[in-house]
Amino acid sequence: MHLATLPIRNLAGQPIRSALTILGVAVAIAGFIALTGLTEGAQHSFASGIDEPGGDLVATQRNGYSLLSNSIPQSLEKELSAVDGVDAVSGVLLNITTADDEANVVISGWPPDSFMWPNLHLVAGHVPGASEPWGAVLGETIVEAFGKKLGDTIELQFQPYTIVGIAAFDTVLNQNIAIVPLAGLQELLGREGNVTLFQVRLKRPLDPDKVTAVRARLATAADNFAVTTTSEFSGNLRFFRLMQAIASTVSVIVLATAVLGIANTMLMAVNERIFELGILASIGWRPSRILGLILVEGLAISAIGGILGVGLGLLAMIVASSSRLSAGLLEPYMTSGLGLQALIAVFLAGPLGALYPAWRGTRLLPAEALRRN
Amino acid sequence: MASMPHLLELKEVRREFDGGRIVALQGVSLTIEAGETVAILGPSGSGKSTLLNLVSGLDQPSSGDVRFDGKRIEGRNAWADIRATRIGIIFQNFCLIPTLSAEENVELAMMTQRGGAIQRRKRALALLQHVGLTARAELRPSELSGGERQRVAIARALCNNPDILIADEPTGSLDRKGSVAIMEMLRELHDRTGATLLVVTHDPSVASYCDRHIEIVDGRITRDRAQRRGDARLATTSIG
Repeated sequence: MHLATLPIRNLAGQPIRSALTILGVAVAIAGFIALTGLTEGAQHSFASGIDEPGGDLVATQRNGYSLLSNSIPQSLEKELSAVDGVDAVSGVLLNITTADDEANVVISGWPPDSFMWPNLHLVAGHVPGASEPWGAVLGETIVEAFGKKLGDTIELQFQPYTIVGIAAFDTVLNQNIAIVPLAGLQELLGREGNVTLFQVRLKRPLDPDKVTAVRARLATAADNFAVTTTSEFSGNLRFFRLMQAIASTVSVIVLATAVLGIANTMLMAVNERIFELGILASIGWRPSRILGLILVEGLAISAIGGILGVGLGLLAMIVASSSRLSAGLLEPYMTSGLGLQALIAVFLAGPLGALYPAWRGTRLLPAEALRRN
Repeated sequence: MASMPHLLELKEVRREFDGGRIVALQGVSLTIEAGETVAILGPSGSGKSTLLNLVSGLDQPSSGDVRFDGKRIEGRNAWADIRATRIGIIFQNFCLIPTLSAEENVELAMMTQRGGAIQRRKRALALLQHVGLTARAELRPSELSGGERQRVAIARALCNNPDILIADEPTGSLDRKGSVAIMEMLRELHDRTGATLLVVTHDPSVASYCDRHIEIVDGRITRDRAQRRGDARLATTSIG
């Protein structure tokens, strides 16, 4: 017999109640993992997706709310290209649109002379030529999901596009992307003369000092616009910050619900077992030891629920990210930081929920507790 | 030469409940020496269990002084430590944890002391063997008879070699045969170890295993006298 024997037997003694409480904790932790993970995942997906075509810096609207609503004049390209240390600049117009009226995909318009086209890892076909204004390069995932092949037509933004190329990408965002010529997309979206952002490639070799210096020059040239690295770029979007705030708020609420659930269960368990606590006191258990026993019980509920919750959270992320509505923006994103936060939540929720019942259980005199038989 | 302190000493102990509307003990003073066998007798509601709770630190007096081994014990932790090392308590309703086996119930009382799980288990099994429950060690209280449960409780009370065994109506839930067995066992333990035995009972035949009888009525000690052993020993002949 060891210290955990009694808490384990107590939990096993009320299997349905214990299971429901554990499930409550698991759902709370799953909610926390899924909400936070998907929010961070979307941000990460965007950052890595923007980074993949080979740009070093991104110029875009300052304090933009959402990437898709960002607007920057295409004419700025010339001024940015003229900045010392800049190798090439490419405007990018982004939108999320329905493909064949079935699922959402990210559509990205690139100018015909963009430095990013040669960076595509084409597995079939070619990039749209000057005579193919309605030609599209699709990510492999989207091609597989729609059962398309080279030469097929796919309707994007209510415009039939011919699949002229299929590209392999590392990032989830780009695996679900459709890249089309910029002019046609601007026309379809009614955004002639504007782009969402500029990808800026710097002259090689690169070093951090050089990047900083060029960035400062770009910022001067593109006054009123933000020049950032690709990872900073997604972090600066207000939409993501809002998403994070919502995720954090909802996470706190679900975790608080879990704490209350544990408190309720432990309160019931302690009330039912006041007599047992009296027995422990009568055989020489100090109040602190009895308190520890109840806290361990709360912790056990929390730990089992936490482990289940992490698994459920991952599953929820996978299900959500594989949804056709996610447009490749959602990806299961479990970091050690997120795991640590969940762990802290688990190790706080259990003892916190059990603290009041434990205190109640130990404040009675042993004789009083023994009278509750 | 300094005299040995009393093992237990109560001075003008009063215990009230319900804001003073119920007075269970009214200024009780009494001393119990190490090695004595004492029966506290009295009708239901006379205050004898309250007295037992006070001398074992399970309850606190409303006024007056309770001393153990000459010392006034302050605080729950101090009393818990004394119960863990020097007092073994046996209750009428056995007070066993239903989710634990007989062996684990005995072990539970040793968990406040140093020593590993293997040592604890060995000692618990030895004690259960001593009370004749080797074959029943892995059973839960619900699977044991009343007499067997009380023997588990005795094994538990003995696990830390207490200076005093306190028994509150130890035979109250048992038939006459079981009562005889338990009282014989307690008396034998006293004779063998020299531990003080304090038994609360309303039954004179149970009290007859003790050498000193204290009678309580309405929260006051009405009689405190030495008793010749065996005067009213439990008769087993009526069984069967």
